[in-house]
Amino acid sequence: MQKKSMGPVVRRTVFDAFVFAYLVMAVLSPIIFSTEEALHQLSRNASIFFGLSIVGAFISGLVSRAGVRTLGEILFAPAHKRLPQGEPKPWYATLWGQQALVTTLVTLIVGLIVTEASIVALLDKERITSASRLLGELFNPGWHILPTVIVHMVQTVYMAFVATLIAVPIAFVLSFMAAKNIMGTTGPGMAFYTALRVVLNVSRSIEPIVWAIIFALWVGFGPFAGMLALMIQSVSSLAKQYSEYVEGVDEGPIEGIRSTGATTLQTVWFAIVPQVTLPYISYTIYRWDTNVRMATIIGFVGGGGIGKLLIEYQLQGAWREVGCILLVIAAVVWIMDAFSAYVREAIK
Amino acid sequence: MSASVKDSVKDSMTDTILSVRHLEKTYPNGMRALKGVSFDVKKGEFLVIIGLSGSGKSTLLRCLNRLHEPTGGQILFKGQDVTNIEGDEILKLRSRIGMIFQHFNLIPRHTVIGNVLSGSLSRTSTVRSLLGLWSREDREKAQSYLNLVGIGEKAYYRASQLSGGQQQRVAIARALTQAPDVLLADEPVASLDPATCHTVMDYLRKVNQELGLTIICNLHFLSLVRQYATRVIALKAGEIVYEGDPNSIDDAWFQRIYGEGAKEVHIN
Repeated sequence: MQKKSMGPVVRRTVFDAFVFAYLVMAVLSPIIFSTEEALHQLSRNASIFFGLSIVGAFISGLVSRAGVRTLGEILFAPAHKRLPQGEPKPWYATLWGQQALVTTLVTLIVGLIVTEASIVALLDKERITSASRLLGELFNPGWHILPTVIVHMVQTVYMAFVATLIAVPIAFVLSFMAAKNIMGTTGPGMAFYTALRVVLNVSRSIEPIVWAIIFALWVGFGPFAGMLALMIQSVSSLAKQYSEYVEGVDEGPIEGIRSTGATTLQTVWFAIVPQVTLPYISYTIYRWDTNVRMATIIGFVGGGGIGKLLIEYQLQGAWREVGCILLVIAAVVWIMDAFSAYVREAIK
Repeated sequence: MSASVKDSVKDSMTDTILSVRHLEKTYPNGMRALKGVSFDVKKGEFLVIIGLSGSGKSTLLRCLNRLHEPTGGQILFKGQDVTNIEGDEILKLRSRIGMIFQHFNLIPRHTVIGNVLSGSLSRTSTVRSLLGLWSREDREKAQSYLNLVGIGEKAYYRASQLSGGQQQRVAIARALTQAPDVLLADEPVASLDPATCHTVMDYLRKVNQELGLTIICNLHFLSLVRQYATRVIALKAGEIVYEGDPNSIDDAWFQRIYGEGAKEVHIN
């Protein structure tokens, strides 16, 4: 919300300042983070970062005043100012081009160091042989546990299905309240719209795996916790997507129904609902498909179902059984994917 | 001001159905769409409003049934001041004033009869309407209006399966189902081909003459105006520049309404 009210100049300055501080810190990191201890001094490092940002902001201002366009300017300048003045230069000869290039290169180098990338570990002969032995076990699945696996897989599919089904009516109602064209742009409607959007965005940004941990503590480990986690995530995700369909409807039928003297509820039901039903169904099936995939993961943290079985066998190092589970997951995900694509194509 | 209100109240008791006094509409962006428009509409008239795109015709019609909020002036409908009514009163007003649109504004995925029945929404309770429980009387009425506009046999088609002209006739039937006192028509033939154009206009004339329904219609083509209007008003930049008999609009008036160098196009 606040970003919208910030002028392009402010956004440009902030962007350039942070990029500058980031670059300087990355390049000087051997000096700044000379010891392990220095790396963990958060307040000291934050001060350095913000100190450098202020310097960067000044530089951004000076450079812009000199008429040279920075990366921040290119990104945030209003559209009518974005065209280059005079003869265009190739991107690599411009300041913003070099800025983007240097930032990307520095990030790649720092990233390789931080992720401890090691070509040696990848090509180590001993590791390759032990990995290929384990892979061999994985691809020689222990079919004797197949009945158990299928029982757990069925549980997982139901978990995803129930979570989606419960989420649909809740998201359906919320979607109209989260649509700008229904709630208006003024007064309490707008306030409610904004509040709801914030809640939806926050709950959507929390991964279902985190919700599963929370619910496992609340209702105990098992498929119920997993179902609740998927449900919460589905409500916010469906409501967000549904509300975008509501915002994209043709205004004509709305005006047509309003002109007959219909109430707001009648207008929504007669003019909007028929327009969004098909996209709703299509997205809901996609969501169920997604939920099946997520449900397999959620078992890892106490959400029950196939994921629970998988982590149990993995911890035992029973790779042939793990292989069987992975194959069943892959098959079900593939079937769900094909099924949802087929149905969505059919109702288009 | 108060004298004119009294006059119009008296008029409405005789045969003025709608009185517009100094109507103003300024949009939030500062655009003045209507700059003090005044006129009366008599019961049973076929009044046509002409003018260029952007002259304020559509805004004017939408102010009459309060789809848009006027920012000044006064609207009297059957003697009642409806300029500042709120809530249910507005819904009641809209139910007394039918409206058809350039793009028909039907529900494309609903059946034709379903679309026509939505004209009875205002007298059907919310619960019954959401469940689709229309009264038998409304169903019969909807079917009879579909017959009146000559597409009774298409009742169970999807609206989107019909041609443009047929969809506009469905829209007329929907408006008639409201049992309105006035029918507003916003460019009803602007997205139709010339042949279909006359069919739709003929049906409008039919409901005007046979049902005695008052019609206020926005139009582009002067040739249609001469053929169908009983009276004409010309709007230019939010002001009335001509009011009177459609057949007395000569070349000079035409140029004044549509601008220098404009040429009249005939459609047959």
